[in-house]
Amino acid sequence: MWPFTSSKKDTSASTREDRSKCWEARDKYFACLDRVGVLKPGDEKKDGACASEDKAYEQNCAKSWIEYFNQRRVIADAQKDRLAQANTQAANSKR
Amino acid sequence: MLSLNHFLRPITTRPFSTGRCLVRPQKHLSGAQLWKRHAGTSPEPSQPSRPSSEPSRPQRNVIGAFTPTSAAIFVVVGVGLFWYFRNEKAKLQEQREKERMSKSYGRPHVGGPFSLVNCTAAPSSSEQRFTHEDLLRRWSLVYFGFTNCPDICPAELDKVTAVVNELRQSNPDLPVQPVFISVDPARDTPSTIRTYLTDFHPSFVGLVGSFEQTKSVCKAYRVYFSTPPDADPKGDYLVDHSIFVYLMDPEGRFVEAFGQTAEKEEMVDKIKQFVVEWSR
Repeated sequence: MWPFTSSKKDTSASTREDRSKCWEARDKYFACLDRVGVLKPGDEKKDGACASEDKAYEQNCAKSWIEYFNQRRVIADAQKDRLAQANTQAANSKR
Repeated sequence: MLSLNHFLRPITTRPFSTGRCLVRPQKHLSGAQLWKRHAGTSPEPSQPSRPSSEPSRPQRNVIGAFTPTSAAIFVVVGVGLFWYFRNEKAKLQEQREKERMSKSYGRPHVGGPFSLVNCTAAPSSSEQRFTHEDLLRRWSLVYFGFTNCPDICPAELDKVTAVVNELRQSNPDLPVQPVFISVDPARDTPSTIRTYLTDFHPSFVGLVGSFEQTKSVCKAYRVYFSTPPDADPKGDYLVDHSIFVYLMDPEGRFVEAFGQTAEKEEMVDKIKQFVVEWSR
């Protein structure tokens, strides 16, 4: 695994390679969360799940990115619920 | 339908002059009969045996509905329709003209004067600064972002790269320049931006200014950006900003803002359309 530290990020620009490594690690971590049925990143820690995925995620992504992706995962899920709700409401109102 | 009936009534009932046509229908040759005659098959035996004492009548009936009155109505209606359609056409043209006028008046006030450091200019070149005047004589796709952007900026810059490539292919003579303006002047140095842009289209122009200059260009382009209040210039933080690709025409005027949901094909098609409209 390529070590990715935030001090490196400050001095030079993020490259396509860095980014895809981070996204890959994120996707693996989120896939693991999905497997254990955890929505909010961090909640899986008490069960000791996804530890290796989490480590790779933290190694490959800057802290600010991790915060952002984690927040977005929760928001996207809430949006999905809201969208489903809106759809059923729309379907009901048509009846 | 009602008006049509009203209009037809004088012809079908014909209260004047040609009432006999209705009284004696047997004199009127049907289409089939006429065809038979022309085809040379045996004519109706009763027809030729009719006395030719009224030579004027059958002729009149062959003429049918074509009387001076109907001719007059035909001409009047024809002239009326002609005037009506001409009038409608003029009205439509007037409306279109109005729409065109309001379109040019309705151009959003996006863009304006700015002067920033050109990070991608060759170090020896005299073009170390890039101003609004450098948008002239070419089409520009302007995007505001920052190099530490997790996923949206790279995706948008990839999209702009693809759009520029496609335009270069379809319209090789069209001057198009992609422009990246940093909304994170505290961390984005010219060298950072230059390195960052090597991942995208080689003709990308990277721009950065002081915080004040960045604020001013963002205001001119109606771009929102927000750095966390406790942001350490050497630290790890994200900048929240609006995501739009602005299309500017060769006169440096705003044409269109493409949002995140705009697909590459949609952008290319629209830009081509704008180019055609602009060169008219």
